[in-house]
Amino acid sequence: MFLRWVTAAYLVYLVVPIALLLVGSFGELWLNTLLPTGSTTQWYVDVAKDPSFRRAFAASLAVVAITCTACVAIGLPLAYALFHTESRRLRALVRVLYQLPVALPPLVLAFGFILVFSSDTLPWLGSIWLLAAGHVVLTLPYFLQAVVADMQRLGLRVLEDAAESLGSSGWQRFMHIVLPALRHSILAGLIIVAALSIGEFQFSNLVAGFLSRTYPVVLLQAFYGATGFACAATVILLALAMVAAVGGALTAGGATRMNAAAA
Amino acid sequence: MSSVTTPAVALEHVSYRYPGTQAGVTDITLEISPGVGPSGCGKTTLLRLIAGFIKPDAGAIRLNGEDVSALPTRSRECGVVFQAYALFPHMRVRENVAYPLRVREVAADERRRRAADMLELVGLTGLSDRLPAQLSGGQQQRVALARALVFGPRALLLDEPLSALDAATRAAMRDEIRRIQRAQNIATLLITHDQDEALSLADRIVLLNEGRFVQSGSPHEIYDRPADAFVAGFVGRANLLDARVIDAQTIDTLIGRLTTPPHGRAAGSALRVLVRPERIEVASAANGATGENVFAAKVLRDRFFGATRQLEIAAGNGRLEIETAMRDDVTQLRVPREAIQFLNAR
Repeated sequence: MFLRWVTAAYLVYLVVPIALLLVGSFGELWLNTLLPTGSTTQWYVDVAKDPSFRRAFAASLAVVAITCTACVAIGLPLAYALFHTESRRLRALVRVLYQLPVALPPLVLAFGFILVFSSDTLPWLGSIWLLAAGHVVLTLPYFLQAVVADMQRLGLRVLEDAAESLGSSGWQRFMHIVLPALRHSILAGLIIVAALSIGEFQFSNLVAGFLSRTYPVVLLQAFYGATGFACAATVILLALAMVAAVGGALTAGGATRMNAAAA
Repeated sequence: MSSVTTPAVALEHVSYRYPGTQAGVTDITLEISPGVGPSGCGKTTLLRLIAGFIKPDAGAIRLNGEDVSALPTRSRECGVVFQAYALFPHMRVRENVAYPLRVREVAADERRRRAADMLELVGLTGLSDRLPAQLSGGQQQRVALARALVFGPRALLLDEPLSALDAATRAAMRDEIRRIQRAQNIATLLITHDQDEALSLADRIVLLNEGRFVQSGSPHEIYDRPADAFVAGFVGRANLLDARVIDAQTIDTLIGRLTTPPHGRAAGSALRVLVRPERIEVASAANGATGENVFAAKVLRDRFFGATRQLEIAAGNGRLEIETAMRDDVTQLRVPREAIQFLNAR
């Protein structure tokens, strides 16, 4: 009974701010009252019309797409290599290395990026690719964690041994066994990556150029204006994060399914 | 093609050490002809060597006479059934079974037909659309067997195939493996630590201990004429008695003086004898035993198994394990002369 109350209380705590955002985004005027007065959809129209929000929206989508693609392209081979490393010490070392960004504040990473990429030799500060590169560093640990854990759980090594004894080549094993068997964890990893990338603020705020600002960075500005506008803009971010997560998951799932079917 | 006498699997002086350890196998030479299966200890290493997952430090491995020591696993054409089956979790039963054909680029039609035939052989025809997770342990075992056989491998390697099954399924699967192996007439290496499994399944047993060859032979030979105390103790239950030779057909043991078959050893020399528990005769007070090698018996422990009883008995200054179907109180025992076997002292 006690547990039920704790759960209920926590859910309320979790849902109320989001609910208030929703309410605020449809409210005409919200000053010193408990709830806003009047109702309107004008704030959404305003956000949609705002050129800086439109650009930020597109930038965020681009960054998420690049980040997710890079996480799979880098993370999957890395996870695979890590899983197959015989040396315990090397495995532990790599583990610490790739987990480091989790412990490190994104701020530190951002300062590093600014130092390196504002020089004349590497003048890439402000490009969307650099922004995505940072997001990859920040999100890759979560992707790797999900995939490596699944490899261990599945006993992937034995599955590969079996496939090999049945005549399967290295590439066939990867395409027929490794990829399809891991599709759930790849999916789960990508959902986390997409959600983190969409909402990332600290790093993006410092590293993004004026034209490559992501949605959360621009959103901060909204809170200096009308409450309704800020709420509507935030609800859009919320929706965006959910869409990106679900979309990323579906794409990844579809891709692995197609691989399994085609091969 | 190899001649009739060429063994399907042959190991010649094969050694392997796991890097940085003392574990492995040393100087193993064995042959498996179609329908023959050894078992032993140091055993999974042996299977991994034959399948090619590891390469021997020394010696050669031949399949149908061809030296495959340098071949990668996928070119060795060994059907391997793993301890945990290693079915591909994302593939349906028929896809699992057809997988070896798929990587060999067999046409889809033929793939389907041959997988269906194999599933029929292992008795799983109705379950071909299931996923492995939807099958029982015994069914998964059959799928693994079908998958390992579907591409006509040179040899079938089974790594502790029954160890993950419950007792009832295990007995049924044991007969099933035997039937399928006979139907396919394929050289089979069955790795097991279970003596019952080895005795009942194998045509030939190879016993390993600490990575070294100990003895090979038919199950009867292994059981009835064990090479040493280790084999005697490992295969079946055994009474091992240290003895001293009195004359050509008499020895002294802790139990007492025993009349034996001629043993051909010098008086005064030490030797070790084996008496299987089921070969010792027991008698109650009502119908006393007569003849040679009869001793008074005191029951120390009595375990009832339904069909038989396992007794631990004190006789003379020694103890004996006895297995008997008799229900009466045991007061006497007789060790038949022909039940006494001589072992090399070790």
